[in-house]
Amino acid sequence: MFLSNLVQKAQQLIDPAALPGPLANLTTASSDRPSKAQLFRHQFRLPDTQNPLYEITAELTLPSKPSNRSSGSKARTYQPHPGAGTAKNWDSSNWDRTAEERGTHYVGQLHISEQFLCFSTVNTTFVSTASTSASSAFTGRTHGTGPAGDGFTLPLCAVRRVERLHTQSHMFALAITTWTGQDAGVKGSEAQGLGSGNAPPKLTITLEGSRLQCERFCDGLKKGLRQGMREVENMRVVVAECYSEFFSQGDFEAETSLAVDTRTGADGKEIKPPDTGLGTLFTYPGNTRKLRDRSKMRLWHEYMRDNGRNTTLVRQPDFHRLIRVGLPNLLRGEIWELTSGSLWLRLQKPKQYEETLKKHEGQQSLAIEEIEKDLNRSLPEYAGFQSSEGIGRLRRVLTAYSWTDTEVGYCQAMNIVVAALLIYLNEKQAFYILSTLCDRLLPGYYSQTMYGTLLDQRVFESLVEKTMPIIWDHLQKNDVQLSVVSLPWFLSLYINSFPLTFAFRVLDVFFLEGPKVLFQIGLAILRINGEELLDATDDGTFISVLKSYFARLGESAHPKSENAKHRQITNFQALMVVAFKEFEGITQQTVSEQRVKSKPGVLEGIEMFAKRTSIRNLGPESKKLSANDLGFLYDRFYAVLYERQQRAQMVQAETERRAKVAKTKATEVVSGISTLAPEMGRVALGAASTTIMSYDAFREFLAGVAKWAVTDSPSSPTKPSHEENGGYFNSLRNRNVLTATNAMREWGTGPEPADHEFLQRLFGKWDSEDVGGLSLQNVVSGLAPIKGGRDLMGVIEWFFELYDDDSDGKVDREGILRISEALLFLTRRGVEVGEVEGGAGVGAVGGEGQQSRDERFLGAVSAFIRRCFEYADPDHPSRQAEKEVVEATDLLGLSSSSSDAQKDAGESATDDAMLSRPSTNTFGQTTPASPSPSTPSRNNTAANAALDPSSPVHITLPTFRMLVLADETLEAFFDSGFANSFHLADAPLASSTITSPSFLGAVGQASASASSAMGTANSSLGGGGTVSPASLGLPAISPGGAAAGVVGPGKGLRGVLDNIVTDGMRVAAEVRRRMDEAQKELDRGVSGRTAEADDDDEEGEDMGDLLEGAEADAGGSIRSGRSREASLLDEEVGGKGVVGVERVGSNLSKDTMFER
Amino acid sequence: MADSTQAAAAPKPSSSVKLVLLGEAAVGKSSLVLRFVNNDFQPNKEPTIGAAFLTQKTHLPTRTIKFEIWDTAGQERFASLAPMYYRNAQAALVVYDVTRASSLGKARHWVAELQRQASPGIVVCLVGNKVDLAEGDDGPDAEEEEGADGEEDGQGEAAAAAAVKPAAVKPAADEGAVRKVSTKEAKAYAEEEGLLFFETSAKSGLNVSEVFTAIANAIPEASLKGGRAGANAAAGAGTQAAIMAGADSSKVNLNAKAGGDKGQEGCAC
Repeated sequence: MFLSNLVQKAQQLIDPAALPGPLANLTTASSDRPSKAQLFRHQFRLPDTQNPLYEITAELTLPSKPSNRSSGSKARTYQPHPGAGTAKNWDSSNWDRTAEERGTHYVGQLHISEQFLCFSTVNTTFVSTASTSASSAFTGRTHGTGPAGDGFTLPLCAVRRVERLHTQSHMFALAITTWTGQDAGVKGSEAQGLGSGNAPPKLTITLEGSRLQCERFCDGLKKGLRQGMREVENMRVVVAECYSEFFSQGDFEAETSLAVDTRTGADGKEIKPPDTGLGTLFTYPGNTRKLRDRSKMRLWHEYMRDNGRNTTLVRQPDFHRLIRVGLPNLLRGEIWELTSGSLWLRLQKPKQYEETLKKHEGQQSLAIEEIEKDLNRSLPEYAGFQSSEGIGRLRRVLTAYSWTDTEVGYCQAMNIVVAALLIYLNEKQAFYILSTLCDRLLPGYYSQTMYGTLLDQRVFESLVEKTMPIIWDHLQKNDVQLSVVSLPWFLSLYINSFPLTFAFRVLDVFFLEGPKVLFQIGLAILRINGEELLDATDDGTFISVLKSYFARLGESAHPKSENAKHRQITNFQALMVVAFKEFEGITQQTVSEQRVKSKPGVLEGIEMFAKRTSIRNLGPESKKLSANDLGFLYDRFYAVLYERQQRAQMVQAETERRAKVAKTKATEVVSGISTLAPEMGRVALGAASTTIMSYDAFREFLAGVAKWAVTDSPSSPTKPSHEENGGYFNSLRNRNVLTATNAMREWGTGPEPADHEFLQRLFGKWDSEDVGGLSLQNVVSGLAPIKGGRDLMGVIEWFFELYDDDSDGKVDREGILRISEALLFLTRRGVEVGEVEGGAGVGAVGGEGQQSRDERFLGAVSAFIRRCFEYADPDHPSRQAEKEVVEATDLLGLSSSSSDAQKDAGESATDDAMLSRPSTNTFGQTTPASPSPSTPSRNNTAANAALDPSSPVHITLPTFRMLVLADETLEAFFDSGFANSFHLADAPLASSTITSPSFLGAVGQASASASSAMGTANSSLGGGGTVSPASLGLPAISPGGAAAGVVGPGKGLRGVLDNIVTDGMRVAAEVRRRMDEAQKELDRGVSGRTAEADDDDEEGEDMGDLLEGAEADAGGSIRSGRSREASLLDEEVGGKGVVGVERVGSNLSKDTMFER
Repeated sequence: MADSTQAAAAPKPSSSVKLVLLGEAAVGKSSLVLRFVNNDFQPNKEPTIGAAFLTQKTHLPTRTIKFEIWDTAGQERFASLAPMYYRNAQAALVVYDVTRASSLGKARHWVAELQRQASPGIVVCLVGNKVDLAEGDDGPDAEEEEGADGEEDGQGEAAAAAAVKPAAVKPAADEGAVRKVSTKEAKAYAEEEGLLFFETSAKSGLNVSEVFTAIANAIPEASLKGGRAGANAAAGAGTQAAIMAGADSSKVNLNAKAGGDKGQEGCAC
């Protein structure tokens, strides 16, 4: 049980939305019923730190007073003793059964929590063994007893003495002296004339239970009392702000008027009355005579004299009655504090208000901005809020609360409620009562989504439907929306609907009896105006009927009655009667049950709305994506966040359980994550959930969207099965209830995401505000340039910028390698060029499909990397020679070790292959079977100028673009393949125009385009015959490393790769020639590079050879088809005869223009 | 619904129009309504909780329009309640505060939401309120505008607006300026979206009744029905009318715009 208490505590510490009491239904869906501790706290209005520790059946005996007119149903009233003084003189020594006979007896349950001793006649039990229904009998009956029933809620620090009484009947009886009792007693004896009636009696409690039970209970009490000693001083400070302290010191009858500001204390000092709100400065609303304020004060004075005050007040039926008739101005605030339980909150954290204000002094926030807008327009008709004093108080209370609960912040209507409170309460009191309102009495009303308000409107509607079906049908028939009228009632507690004095009367009862009062009043309003409402057929008339009724609340309900007494009954009094008599059956339970029922629908509605709004407000970038895609991204984004939160909670709970942390403090146990609030991430419940995606969440997000983002080497035992190709996308979307095992896995049900440098770059790029997290907005604007329609140039540029770390328009050697690496990473599961795999590729390659495409891609990438270095511009042409070869080794050692560090055999093999491939033609060496990265790399370095760091090089965007466009495969990848690799809701893009048949048709006969030339090359590649899927014996998609499937062993491969290389070289040569002609800048680069080659003997030679070979290849006539193509290419370059090349050519010239 | 006075004269057809006010908090929605309905102004108007409902009639030469006005709460979190109020609305007033740039952004959101969620064909009017605070201050790009505003009207406007558009997007550079949203910027936006556009002052009453008259004129005849039944029929007819209006909405708006410009001339002092 203790553990569960801890868990609850933790939950509330973390999640302010987790409400105690029956209201907790709103947030804890784990069960529709709240925990017993919550019910307990709610019944006695205790702070969330309190738990029922011990309880016992007991009988409370209070001496009867002449003034006590108690006739409560549960109280047996005995004939009061003739001598009023007798009761006061009770003592443990002369206590006996006869004395007991004189007094009022209440039978009920006595409870101890950590800091409170509570007694209530409402027969409920909160022990762990009791059934929940027994404890949830918190019905809040309206006549006589409030939710807490008769009894008391006594902070242990307010207990001065507990005595065990000697009884003749061997009963276990305690006499409890409270500090007010003692205090007043002493004062009474000192200050003459005041003493006689001023000391409240001791509370005499007879425990009913076995001796053992009683002993145990008393032990618990003793322990609590000892702890409570520390808080006594604290309590005195807190209580000093209660008017009753000032009030009870004088003899009410001796006062000539209530206007006395000061009294002389026992020590001769003048005692100022505590601040009882703006009312003391600006007068209280309403006519005090008409409100019979003075006689109410007298009654309260008597009541408090007999039953204690503030912390020690005992609730008897008169207490409830006195509240029903309306509280007197000066005591109103204090009684609100007491009945709402906010006094206990203030007692626990007496300095919270000042500290919060101090801590955030001078800080700005959205809430504060919103508060400022409304300060001048909160109850402006009340004089106090036309003054800087009143506005200052309002500002401070609202601001302090907005910092205390940043999720709520500030909501319009709070200003009105707080303004009303401030008329009767000082700032501090108003602050705590506002906390109680937001957390407990009006859960979710003022939250970001206002789900509490919407939910209670639904509840109200269903209650109207149930209790007044005729009116309900009428509303339905005429399409009048009830909540249009009733929403402001609830949201501002009738304060801006009723004339102020009546609104305060509602508040009096509301704080005592809870939220159900709002429903009862609302129902009564409709009932009373039923006939007129049935005549109203539109919203307008409906509203005006009620408006005029509210204006008449102070008028007589029966103006034409013969009976003068009847004529005196106001509309408001009649309303109260209807509300609390006719709708007596509307209890907290009714409301709670109805809330549970309506909740799913309401939350769904809010979520739909949130989604719609969120998508609409994603900014202009989002227009590039379809509505379906946006919807998908939204769902996926929040699903990932939500699931991660869930998993974190479950993991946390599991860890806690294992750690057996029962003894640790709750605050330490839970490091920021709630344990049992499975709904806390729901959008509709407000900002309790995060809206920012961390890097890990981002990986998970991508893994559900793109195949390449799924890791090759999952660490968890269950691999995502590839048979249900794409199936996991669906399974994530229609997420079922997570099984325990799945939830415990780090990545839940989804595939385990990969971690690759590319992902980090992508994350960094999308995180445009550099906050270390992505919002949905970031994700959408990040995806928009990629997915948003076909923009080949845009995607190429985007990709380039991804690797241009210092955004100087250059990507260095390292970057080039990383780009190549990323390209292979992205395509290791195949390229999805689109549904229409058309043109020469299909025509020539035939049925080779995926496998050959992969090969083609590998070839393209290796050609790309080589060309990159070929066309790279030197950074500092003059200084290259000074660098040493040692550095080269270092660099390569570094890069190969970094690839080793990736723990991914397949990937590192790819890296190695990649590094070595461009520099040497002995590709056969680099097989997965011989992963000895450093040796070949080092040799290769020496052989390749481009890899030599002594000649730092970079490529620019135009170069990059040129290189991509020069290769059909890469072009197709950037054109649609990359975009298609993100699986959103809509179908992938059609494949590149270059490979589309229509284009080919336009080109005409004889494979006259560059693309078909490539196609031929591919066909020859395939024609090598060595790399057929069968001979490799590898699956098309190998999680072990896609590259492994391509760089297969065997001699034949060399021929294949040679082809690729020569082909690439040829194209490169062509491109270079064009560049020579067209682009001076590149030209300069090439000449620089040539000069560099001259400087360095060995490497230069090597390079020269390569170039020569390429040129020879391009110029020569190795194969008939080739030469023709080459010449065609020449022609194209010169004559622009072919559309495809024209396009390339124009792109190139465009690049140059950009460059300058 | 015809008044007795009207009945005595030539009885004009009367019809109800549901109108909803939307916009950021404290831009003066309620004040606009108060000015229109009661010809009154309260400097410290309580924020609207949920929504307020008021009615007022506007007499046109050919008919009388009874506005059923739903004045909504402006704070962001109340946005989820708005659909309840703009349901079946035939007209909407999207209000921003010319002295607060953020309020126009919010207005854009509302316009977008109305275009997607409200009854199609709803007549939307963009209103920049509180021009009294920005008197003699023509906003961030005043220099460019000054000459233009005086002489331009009606037809030439569109072209001019298009021409200065890049300038209008420019953020308020001059901190001294009270006005934060230039007429140009807002008008360009309104034209782009096909909205009516006015700049008003609820405090001085400037252009307030013009707004409602323009809306009354812009409501397509087909969606109006006389009398009380209109309120109910309008709900059903709204959609239909909207579809019809969809075709000639540009025409309607163009006509209305001329009215809007006239109003604006008055404020360019």
